[in-house]
Amino acid sequence: MNGNGLAPDTRTHLIRAFERIVGPEGVISSPDELRVYDCDALTFFHRCPPDVVVLPTSTSQVAEIVRRCYEFGVPFLPRGAGTGLSGGATPRAGGVMIVLTRMTRILDLDLANRMATVEAGCVNLWLTKAVECHGLFYAPDPASQAACTIGGNVAENAGGPHCLKYGVTTNHVLGATVVLPDGEVVRLGGKVSDSPGCDLLGVFTGAEGTLGICTEVTVRLLPQPEAVKTILAIFRTIEDACSAVSGVIARGIIPVAMEMLDRETITAVEANVKAGYPLDAGAVLLIELDGPRGEIEAEAVGVEAVCREQGCLDVRVAQTEEERALLWKGRKEAAGSFGRIAHHYYLQDAVVPRTKLAQVLREIEEIGARYRVKIANVAHAGDGNVHPMICVDRDVPGCEERAIQAGSEIMRRCIELGGTVTGEHGIGLEKREYLRLMYSPADLAVMHRVRGVFDPAGLCNPGKIFPDEDGPAGAEHSARHASAVSAG
Amino acid sequence: MTVAASVIQDLRAVVGAESLLMGEGLEAYRLGDRIPQAVVMPTDDAEVSKSLALAWEGALGVVPWGGGSHQSIGSPPSRYDLALDLTRLNRLLVHEPADMTATAQAGIRMAELQRQLGKHGQFLPLDVSMPGLATLGGVLATRLSGPLRCRYGTARDLILGVRVAHADGTITKAGARVVKNATGYDVTKLYLGSHGTLGIILEATFRVYPRPDVERGWWLPAHDLGAAQVLANRILGSHLVPNRVELVDEVAGRVCGVSGPGLVVSISGLPETVQGQFVDLERMAGEFGVTPSELRNAEGAWTALSDFPWPNAGWIGQGLWVLWRGGVLPADCARAIRAIRERVSGSAEVAMAATVSHGAIRGRLGAEAPEPLVRALAAARETLVGLGGYLVALRLPEGVRDGIDVWGRPPDGLGVMQRLKAAFDAKGILNPGRFVGGI
Repeated sequence: MNGNGLAPDTRTHLIRAFERIVGPEGVISSPDELRVYDCDALTFFHRCPPDVVVLPTSTSQVAEIVRRCYEFGVPFLPRGAGTGLSGGATPRAGGVMIVLTRMTRILDLDLANRMATVEAGCVNLWLTKAVECHGLFYAPDPASQAACTIGGNVAENAGGPHCLKYGVTTNHVLGATVVLPDGEVVRLGGKVSDSPGCDLLGVFTGAEGTLGICTEVTVRLLPQPEAVKTILAIFRTIEDACSAVSGVIARGIIPVAMEMLDRETITAVEANVKAGYPLDAGAVLLIELDGPRGEIEAEAVGVEAVCREQGCLDVRVAQTEEERALLWKGRKEAAGSFGRIAHHYYLQDAVVPRTKLAQVLREIEEIGARYRVKIANVAHAGDGNVHPMICVDRDVPGCEERAIQAGSEIMRRCIELGGTVTGEHGIGLEKREYLRLMYSPADLAVMHRVRGVFDPAGLCNPGKIFPDEDGPAGAEHSARHASAVSAG
Repeated sequence: MTVAASVIQDLRAVVGAESLLMGEGLEAYRLGDRIPQAVVMPTDDAEVSKSLALAWEGALGVVPWGGGSHQSIGSPPSRYDLALDLTRLNRLLVHEPADMTATAQAGIRMAELQRQLGKHGQFLPLDVSMPGLATLGGVLATRLSGPLRCRYGTARDLILGVRVAHADGTITKAGARVVKNATGYDVTKLYLGSHGTLGIILEATFRVYPRPDVERGWWLPAHDLGAAQVLANRILGSHLVPNRVELVDEVAGRVCGVSGPGLVVSISGLPETVQGQFVDLERMAGEFGVTPSELRNAEGAWTALSDFPWPNAGWIGQGLWVLWRGGVLPADCARAIRAIRERVSGSAEVAMAATVSHGAIRGRLGAEAPEPLVRALAAARETLVGLGGYLVALRLPEGVRDGIDVWGRPPDGLGVMQRLKAAFDAKGILNPGRFVGGI
């Protein structure tokens, strides 16, 4: 599929204009090179290259590019590293793609106030690396943190395993420089808290690049904890593990992370990285505590007591940094390990209230049996955030369709249990039709209203988040678009 | 504008005669020199919706009203026909202790909400002023916070979703009852702190936290404000996890029973871990020649610090007083407080406290006559703006309102905010004129 077929002379004119703004080396227009940008990390869903890619190096260049698009009524979208999992950075139908990966500088490191201002293309992990020698860190740690950009994190309101205690991106962003969809540059929020006015920064964060393009971000940095303790608790059943999750929280202990891996996942992980998870376990919990040393020692005693009360088979505490890294390696490589048990898989993201976790996992198993697909589960259990991985064998006729139907039913059940269809991946292209299951037309009209205020011409990352006007309610419509499933 | 008798009749039909206040009772809903022509006291969401639909039809100016404790915040309404008193929507609807979430109606008083959450040993860590009066809805609409934000953040971090009544009476929801959600725009944030100008919050779902086993507080006296700031920076940049780090000047210090300037610091947790952190705190303070002394009446100090500068304890004496809040960079709190004191001493009395972690300063200015008070307020604002910050006047006495914009200079993005207002409330009936830039 090609771009949206911008009129050739418009395209030529824009390319020339962009070359004047950013220099010829910052404009990509050959079909071969454009194909690189035809999707983000949601690779199986919908692919479409942009008509032209521009790589600006400053806010004013971004503003100029956006102004040109606005003048010509040409759709445009921002892109960072393209690691998003819901199609947020995939062109719906061509247009201009503004890629921020040449804007990578850390502009200001304000150690006295524990804040940093970075350009949108700065990679998440670089920031933490740059400040760790000062005893600080940047808390949001999405799985892709070694590649993803902070601008992209703002667009998707990215989370990560450690957000149980520290919160997600929106809790750490203090300010942003934003190019509005008509090219106006505004500064939302700032280093000073609570300045009067509507919380535009709050609604901009997580808007998936549909309300404008952020070019600079000011974030809060946190002092490193005095100590960290990583615990692996081994359970006979998922139910026991879920009860332990609730029990830990009920004790008033808030770990930084509480990750669960089920038997299928353990099998895959052990075949791949040998993290030392026992193969006979029904589920394991990876629990991490951080804080003042005395505090976490006391909490670790509490965590162990809860796990034993819930009949856990064993509790292991990482004694060295190497042991800790190995335990985490198993979790971090979980997705990559699925190649060991399936050729392809369909990764889902949904949230239920913490207390419904056991129930939803049981139902996911039943759904898998009903649709005859194997489903492995990893979960940010402390947040009630599940990531079912639906295995697909493409050689079996109908398997792909059944996988998609199973995914759709899981989404429905999560909503019925009081949850949501995405905890951290976003709606993007993938989940637009599910929005109607969660929100009434009136609820969605409010979001449309916000969109209309920021982007009356509807040019900024169009075709994302909102269901198509004429689309049917429910997931079948989305599923129809899912022509293939990602490689494992 | 006089509200047509037929509209009054319709409103009465919606809420019932006993829930429509007219005549003498209206004085309690005064804002500046205006009182409404009627007060509607709905008992459920449907009554709110229908009342608003009538107001929308008649283009009546509506002021949402909770406890009335903080109604002095904001500019006076440009139109004020109806007050919508939400205090009868006062139930805790859902509390899931194991999920650590709860949902409550907007009209519940903060103290009552905390009492009910406390039955399961939990609380909502918004330690705002006047919790006995202030309602949840009002606290969220004004985005009030207190010293505990040092540890727990503000409403922005705690609120997971809201149900909102719009200007035309439509009711919508935003967010969900889970702690993590990336589903569509986070419109919840727009209602927090927009003073009811975009919609009226009917209920909110929020995170709750376990009440700590113990919370101990210490007074860390410093030679001067600057020394207190340096010590605060040291604490906040360390591995300690304090609940509160409040920098108080001499006058504000008196409010919580200490003789400033210095820091009030608290730490919570299990008894033994609190002691462990205290040992580290004591060592850090020692590096600066400061010896912490434990607060004997810590609970009293927390109440006083949360209430400051509001005159809840009746400690404001004779004369005219301006209450305000301001913001600067966290490391600039002492500089700001010292500079304001230098600028206004001679013309006004001043007391200030700051939540250092967030650079949130609050203060009061007092004088015998309007003129010096207005000058002092302008000087305080100028000082904060000069440091890259801002000042918002929270309460102005009679006679000093003229010509003062309580919000200060227009914020960045005001154009977007005004367009939002127009999109959410085309007739401008919700709290008209009370927010920034005439919104």
